[in-house]
Amino acid sequence: MKEIAARRLPTDRRGRLVRAAMLMVLVLLALSFVRLVTHASDLTSSGTFSATLRVSIPILLAALGGLYAERAGVVNIGLEGMMILGTWFGAWAGWHWGPWTGVLVGVMGGAAGGLLHAVATVTFGIDHIVSGVAINILAAGATRFLSVVAYTNVSGAGITQSPHVNGTIGELTLPVLAGGRFFGLKTPDFLGWLERQHWFFVSDLGALGKGLTAQVSLLTLLAVALIPLTYWLLWRTPFGLRLRSVGEHPMAAESLGVPVYTMKYIAVTISGALAGLGGVFLVLEEAGIYREGQVGGRGFIGLAALIFGNWRPGGVVVGAGLFGYSDALQLRSNTSIHGLLLFIAIAAAAVGLWFLIRSRVTTGVAAVVVASLVFWWFAGTKAVPDEFISITPYVVTLLVLAVAAQRLRPPAADGRPYRKGQAQ
Amino acid sequence: MKRALRLAAAATVFVLIAAACSKSTTPSTSGGSSKPGNGQKIGMVYDLAGRGDKSFNDSAYIGLTKASHDFNIQVKDLTPSASGQGRQALMRLLATDGYPLIFGNGFAFDADIAAVAKDYPNIKFAETDGGVADLTSSSNLVMNDFAANEGSFLVGAAAALTSKSGKVGFIGGVDVGLIHSFQAGFEAGAKQVNPSIQVDVKYLTAPPNFTGFSDPAKGKEAALGMFGSGDDVIFHAAGGSGAGLFDAAKEYSTTNSVKVWAIGVDSDQYLTAPAEDQPYILTSMIKRVDVSVYDTIKDFIDGKFMGGYRTFGLKSGAIDYATSGGFVDSIKSQLDDLKQKIISGAITVPTS
Repeated sequence: MKEIAARRLPTDRRGRLVRAAMLMVLVLLALSFVRLVTHASDLTSSGTFSATLRVSIPILLAALGGLYAERAGVVNIGLEGMMILGTWFGAWAGWHWGPWTGVLVGVMGGAAGGLLHAVATVTFGIDHIVSGVAINILAAGATRFLSVVAYTNVSGAGITQSPHVNGTIGELTLPVLAGGRFFGLKTPDFLGWLERQHWFFVSDLGALGKGLTAQVSLLTLLAVALIPLTYWLLWRTPFGLRLRSVGEHPMAAESLGVPVYTMKYIAVTISGALAGLGGVFLVLEEAGIYREGQVGGRGFIGLAALIFGNWRPGGVVVGAGLFGYSDALQLRSNTSIHGLLLFIAIAAAAVGLWFLIRSRVTTGVAAVVVASLVFWWFAGTKAVPDEFISITPYVVTLLVLAVAAQRLRPPAADGRPYRKGQAQ
Repeated sequence: MKRALRLAAAATVFVLIAAACSKSTTPSTSGGSSKPGNGQKIGMVYDLAGRGDKSFNDSAYIGLTKASHDFNIQVKDLTPSASGQGRQALMRLLATDGYPLIFGNGFAFDADIAAVAKDYPNIKFAETDGGVADLTSSSNLVMNDFAANEGSFLVGAAAALTSKSGKVGFIGGVDVGLIHSFQAGFEAGAKQVNPSIQVDVKYLTAPPNFTGFSDPAKGKEAALGMFGSGDDVIFHAAGGSGAGLFDAAKEYSTTNSVKVWAIGVDSDQYLTAPAEDQPYILTSMIKRVDVSVYDTIKDFIDGKFMGGYRTFGLKSGAIDYATSGGFVDSIKSQLDDLKQKIISGAITVPTS
């Protein structure tokens, strides 16, 4: 039995990867079709894909942070506050000592927020939600106070804003394919050329490639590298097994000698550090300054992406990417949102058919009805009203969550206070 | 457990209070008996971004400071917390403290200042950019509004005169009426000098989501999208999100070897921008809140305070365009010509 399971696992994983890749191709095909029909070229432009990457990263980092905490059984609603600490400390240290020090100190700021959450929830057994909310409020108040202390007499700064962080983190562009420099020599921009041909699918693939490989910040690379690293650490090492066991059944873990409190402390501190890195990204890559209110709910969106992703790294990436894509699209181009309606109609119809084939009639019919309503909206109008455009990412996330939420499974002991030696 | 919860609750309350009134300064107190003013106390509550926003609120602070030099008055200024809670509480604090003139700096004060003004009929109130209805000259509340559309008209003309692509952009922070007048003026100004120009418009968020005024990341991505679609001059009326526009103009120009421009708002943003962004800031639409604050204090001390509505426009010098950096020097005569036409009434600038 054990042998069979061990042999089946890798095949399963490969199957999942193949399925995911096929789904990606289908989505890109549909988007390409919609682009040809509606002439909304921003739907698949390299600019949109590169914006998607930048918009997704802070959400992804918050969600990965949440993954560590919740896999160890601590609900972390304080991600928002930890991101705020990351933005403030990142900008402050970046202003003093350059961007890379900013990254380090911002991560430490977030980790400090995580540590506080660990002290409150693990040592004192405070309700996780109460502590998380308190940290969000504390972070907003503390950063305002710190700005008063640090920036009162600094020109170009004030109680709501830091000075500009000078210097950049550096970025990479892939040579030959995306036109990057190779030993100082300019190389051709093959993917960019492909994008400009406006061929069906091929050009969209080129745009995707270019968007993800041109002017990619080193911080982005670091964040992306954290995805496989997290998977490996949590699912392929003894440390990860212990951490997850603490989130599933802390009593059992304790009886086997796992230091439950220590594991929770480590997990929640890492969680804060990752959220802090997300905050630093907002400062260094998207603004150059700390600005009060800059995080703007991204910590909560990250939490949503975590649930959306079924508490797994791959799912988290999809959740953050989906939100990032629709947010980048609505920010860049109002007209593309009208084209997106057609895509949603196609996607809903496909989901409906799939459910109908699986003879889940109610869900299938509901999806088809949604598809026809959205299609009717698309066909009957020329543009989406401005009031709706800025909420696009939230609507899209809700729609997909409604379908995906059918099979979610949080860690079994997630959010439950745990006292050492307690009896079940 | 219970005790820990109680402790946490107490800590939360403390932090909330600390955040609500985290900063109060007394810029200066002049006691010279030769100056008019009898040492009266003048209060100011800033809007969300608070002192140090390099823009709207700092401008109000300049007016307050100037008044405190010229008159024998004491001033006190307060900033609400980031979520905006405590606007009304801070104003009531000043009212009960015996401040006879209190400013609410920003359109978000509408409901709060109207409520407080009703409860304290003997105290005078002034709101910047306010929209409280049904006031008369005998009210104890005055709306100091700005003809932002007139200044936006001028920078719109500057944008159209500078644009090579025939496409310019407007980024509004939040989709509210106040910002619509910036957009209307900008579009009218651009079309005045180039009737065939195309103006792209983007609002970052819609109410009740006001993060569009404080989210540089949104400003940057929206600007990159506009630059990517061919716009080469973008004007923002998005408060703190504007930092993202300047960053985008620099980044787009350097990675694509073209020159695109940004236009600032409220204050001369060339002066406060980092040096690396300055070459991309064409001009700014200047809205001198300091003029309105100073004038209101002066009227109050002279006993000429009047309630109701006041509009500060190009004529009073409270609205203007910036020339720092010298990028608009070659078109300055055309802009000044338009300015004179607006002042004389030959051109009427729409507000929506």
